[in-house]
Amino acid sequence: MDFILSMFDMLNWFPENISTFGHELDNLFAIIYWVSVAIFFITFGVLGYFLVKYRYRRDARGYNYHGNNIVEITWTILPTILFAGIGLYSDDIWERTKYSSRLPKADVSILVMGKQFGWQFLYPGADGKFGRNAYTDRDNCRKLMSSTNPFGIDSTDQASMDDFTSENQFKVPVNANLVFHGSSQDVLHSFFLPHARVKQDVVPGTWMNIWCNLFKAGKYELACAELCGGGHYSMRAEYEVLSKSAYDEWVDKKVAEAIAARSPQPAAPVADTTKVASLTK
Amino acid sequence: MSTATIEHAAVAADGHGHEHHHHDLPWYRKYVFSTDHKVIAKQFMLSSMFFLFIGGVFALFIRWQLAYPGQPIPIIGSILPDTWVTEAGSGIITPEFYTQLLTMHGSIMIFFVVIPFAAGMFGNFCIPLMIGTDDMALPRLNMWSFWLVPPAGLIMMAGFFTQTGYAAAGWTSYPPLSAQTGLDTFTISGQTLWTISVFLVGFSSIMGGVNYVTTVLNKRAKGMKLFDMPLTVWGLFITAILVTLGTPVLAAGLAMLFMDNFLHTSFFLPDNLVTSQKYFGGGQPVLFQHVFWFYSHPAVYIMILPLMGIVSDVMATFSRKPIYGYKAMVFAIAGIAFLGFIVWGHHMFQSGMNPLLGTTFMLSTIVIAVPSSIKVFNWLGTLWRGNIKFSTAMLNALAFVSMFIIGGLSGVFMASAPVDIYIHDTYFIVAHIHYVLFGGSLFGIFAGIYYWYPKMYGKMLNERLGRQHFILTFITFNLTFFPMHVLGLGGHMRRIYDPNVYDFLKGLSDVNEIITIGAIALGFSQLILVFNVVWSLKVGKKAPRNPWRANSLEWAAPEHPGHGNFDQDITVYRGPYEFSVEGRTSDYWPQWEPGASKTVNHKTVVLEDDTKTFGAH
Repeated sequence: MDFILSMFDMLNWFPENISTFGHELDNLFAIIYWVSVAIFFITFGVLGYFLVKYRYRRDARGYNYHGNNIVEITWTILPTILFAGIGLYSDDIWERTKYSSRLPKADVSILVMGKQFGWQFLYPGADGKFGRNAYTDRDNCRKLMSSTNPFGIDSTDQASMDDFTSENQFKVPVNANLVFHGSSQDVLHSFFLPHARVKQDVVPGTWMNIWCNLFKAGKYELACAELCGGGHYSMRAEYEVLSKSAYDEWVDKKVAEAIAARSPQPAAPVADTTKVASLTK
Repeated sequence: MSTATIEHAAVAADGHGHEHHHHDLPWYRKYVFSTDHKVIAKQFMLSSMFFLFIGGVFALFIRWQLAYPGQPIPIIGSILPDTWVTEAGSGIITPEFYTQLLTMHGSIMIFFVVIPFAAGMFGNFCIPLMIGTDDMALPRLNMWSFWLVPPAGLIMMAGFFTQTGYAAAGWTSYPPLSAQTGLDTFTISGQTLWTISVFLVGFSSIMGGVNYVTTVLNKRAKGMKLFDMPLTVWGLFITAILVTLGTPVLAAGLAMLFMDNFLHTSFFLPDNLVTSQKYFGGGQPVLFQHVFWFYSHPAVYIMILPLMGIVSDVMATFSRKPIYGYKAMVFAIAGIAFLGFIVWGHHMFQSGMNPLLGTTFMLSTIVIAVPSSIKVFNWLGTLWRGNIKFSTAMLNALAFVSMFIIGGLSGVFMASAPVDIYIHDTYFIVAHIHYVLFGGSLFGIFAGIYYWYPKMYGKMLNERLGRQHFILTFITFNLTFFPMHVLGLGGHMRRIYDPNVYDFLKGLSDVNEIITIGAIALGFSQLILVFNVVWSLKVGKKAPRNPWRANSLEWAAPEHPGHGNFDQDITVYRGPYEFSVEGRTSDYWPQWEPGASKTVNHKTVVLEDDTKTFGAH
């Protein structure tokens, strides 16, 4: 019985929220939910009452009445006000969470690349700046993108030296503005962080701005929410929200690894041969 | 008078006895390539029920996999084709086949079940009869509009025989997934066939739509003004306008997708994809979504507006009351149709479309709740002070209204763009679409079948079976689809093969199991309907001419009208909802009975009552 009742208390079913704007989204959901519940009980109450009260009786007749304009206008205006209110209130939150012009100043920038079937992440490293890659130098570096170099990193650029990648997992500091720039190397994917209330499709050929600020440390999951082929369901990644110091430690370690891997051979950028370049170029 | 008419009608029905109508048509012109709108309606009904069965079976495969991931499908598991299962005879479906299943389930249900039922079957059957004419304006075009459906269906199902199996990019078929199959140029894949098939059914819809608009505008019975038409005809008429304006846009999108898929052009493919396939680049993936939803959002209304009309007629008849606010209802339908063309972007809030457009589309979408609520209030107003008879048709109509309220309210959540961030592409959306398309459209279709079956086949459906079908469907429907809201809020993505991959979805496996049990019961409940339809054809009670004592013109036609429909000239004297007029002994006043009235204080006053018993039973 408790199980059945709990099914109707919809707000309990959300995964725990760890994002600063998540409360606003959840509250907005709650407002619409309780308004809906009220409308549901009013309309179903009226419906049930009419069905019982005016049920068929042999000697009864219907009432020949064609409707009343004043009533029609009333029940046009009332929902308009209600729904317009919800719309305008929603828009305020929408602008703050999604508009590119409202993107907060990044404490940490991360590039995200979806592929069939996994996620790649690129961090700017110790200098906090990305070298030339498909995001920072779209015109020249997109054509370097390949299955081994998903971000099209130009390895001749010194600023790229400390940029490091991570596959199917990423780590972020707690209480920091995280700005992701997401794209895809093949088909549409959707960057979905259920606990952070973040969802954004990533589209090949363009970069999406995504941001959040997470206030609770711990391990969470990232899922793909847009059908991307047979392995869609398995396109899972993990992320960990760390304390500032633990995060810095992790970054230092990864930077050292990246530099060690790259330093001996500053080779010229060569398009990967596994990939067929577009015919127009 | 009445006896004479009925005898005359019997002749007309049995012998195709009308003087100038085709004598002794060969059987294949009567039953197969018929131009009679009623035969075409029956053909649409048969093909839709067939595809409903296939789409339903596919849905049960999906449900089994979600509730019991990795377990073999019971009973039929061992005989499934090898390409569907992990290894021959294992009965465990593969992730690739799972994506084909969900694609085919959606495509079949939308393009081959709900649209053909709503627009094809009811459009064909109701429009000529309800506006009092002998047939469609363009009967031959009408015949073609049906005969594109079976080949289109076969083409879609033929995906099974291609290298890649059925189409597998979802019923929305977003590129690049749908455009790049990894095959050579000029190689047919399931996706290629899907595009051709949907293009063909679209063409069928357009032919139907053009025909409906022409018929309604040109062939109404003498005296019938537009505002004397029943809401069913209004719903179908406005739907037909939507079809004629929207479907060509989809056709354009499909043509481009076909070229990308088959000829490897790049309308929707950007530069520098990491792929082994040759292509040109320079395209834009999100463009397809715009083109697709520009049709497919109005298509949602194509699937519901005719049923709104049908439900209104059924409710007025069984409440013995005029529709509350008839004109408001017409304007609401027109309003929904108009707004339907400027809200498509709400499917794309998270698609990478400029968020500024999100604001615009959110506001226009929320406005669409207004005409929808006007309709609900007017339905409630129609019940008010009625004398409500709970026939099977009425029960289904009431289910339509109540499920539409739930589906409409759940729509407000996703209309609000910030809330949509979380629930987009989750089972919350799946719950919503099924409340509107199954709870709405399909209950409306059932209502229409129970209501017009007597006129279609000359036999009454069994009410007892009808009631059992209704109660079982209503309960199992809610058991199946209500918990999907819960899944969605738990974050359960749609279209995933195995939810157990994710830790945050582990707590939802009970819910998934409940849904699957409900879905299986729901599927089997539909057998009662099939049985009823077939059984009543054989042993059903003979239908009287006007079994529901309704007002609209189809009930003036003989019990089982033949080619040409009516056995006498029809003149329309009033609107279709003059029930329970004060000062008349009978509680209905058919449109075709001579007499005059006027409306004073929202009530009808009889000026002249010249009722003959024609059409009464």
